Amino acid sequence: MAVLPIRIFPDPFLKEKAAPVEGVTAEVAAFIDDLLETMRSSPGGVGIAAPQVGMPRRIVIVDVSAHRRGSQEQNHGLLVLINPEILAMGGKQIVREGCMSVPDYTANVQRAQWVLVDALGRDGERRIIESIGFEAVAIQHEMDHLDGVLFLDRVVSV
Amino acid sequence: MGHFSLSVVGRDRPGIVAEVSRVLFELGCNIEDSTCTILSGQFAMILVIAHAKFSSASEIDPFFDAVRKSMKLTVSLHTLKDDEISREKGFEGRPHIISVYGADRPGIVYSVARELARLNVNVTDLNTQVVGAKDRPVYMMVLEVDIPESVDMKELERDFDKIRKELSVSISVRPIESLEL
Repeated sequence: MAVLPIRIFPDPFLKEKAAPVEGVTAEVAAFIDDLLETMRSSPGGVGIAAPQVGMPRRIVIVDVSAHRRGSQEQNHGLLVLINPEILAMGGKQIVREGCMSVPDYTANVQRAQWVLVDALGRDGERRIIESIGFEAVAIQHEMDHLDGVLFLDRVVSV
Repeated sequence: MGHFSLSVVGRDRPGIVAEVSRVLFELGCNIEDSTCTILSGQFAMILVIAHAKFSSASEIDPFFDAVRKSMKLTVSLHTLKDDEISREKGFEGRPHIISVYGADRPGIVYSVARELARLNVNVTDLNTQVVGAKDRPVYMMVLEVDIPESVDMKELERDFDKIRKELSVSISVRPIESLEL
């Protein structure tokens, strides 16, 4: 396992659309381990997307269970989402977000209160996850990275 | 690189930002940090600007004479020394939002601010407004603060209790939860 260097905006890579993962091979599994270690190495880091480490593939990891507020809400613990798709979303919440790729800046972003996501897990099995609150925010933020969208594109107030 | 603080105040109308930024653009000034808002119908701008050659605010000041006149603006400029500007946070602490509101009366801001200063809590943003009906004005204050780890939150609450009683105001303190993603 290895901690991978994080791409920092204005790195143009962060504005690129990532491609789907063709299959959860040993190589992909090893990359996911590195991605997880990279996320854990950042203080307070509760999510990461493959493009943030320069890998243009549709993989995100979210784990809000160690976050002060996230831990008090319903959450799935560690979530590895491969080729995730949002099937449905609803409600509104405004959350202050920061991003490892945009250091020293936080701003308020409007997100859906809940999301229903279809994704492959690291075992390659397809599953549907319903998420609410902080975890849902983390999923939306990370999935945005797969389409080259940063939270800066969604700021509602500073 | 010289740095300067620039403040602009004038009766709100469309075009103030455009005129002020035009002067800065034509001079070759960078706008480093800025915040602008409307206060009781006055448009207020505070900016930190930088220029590659100018070293004194007095060199820039005369270029604003035309907009002072045309837009009826009060414009003031000050030179900032290199050690006075920083992009880093100067004080450590956990970010919190404090909201304070109650019937308008003198001393609300001072009482709260004095308490925060005593505990070494740094105010990073402060907004006050008089709201509510004309005959029953309500004073609303929202502060963003950084509370040092060393502060005992129970002590802070006890001190706020005194202010709540003395001034009949509601005070709530909430951590700003941000998600680092």
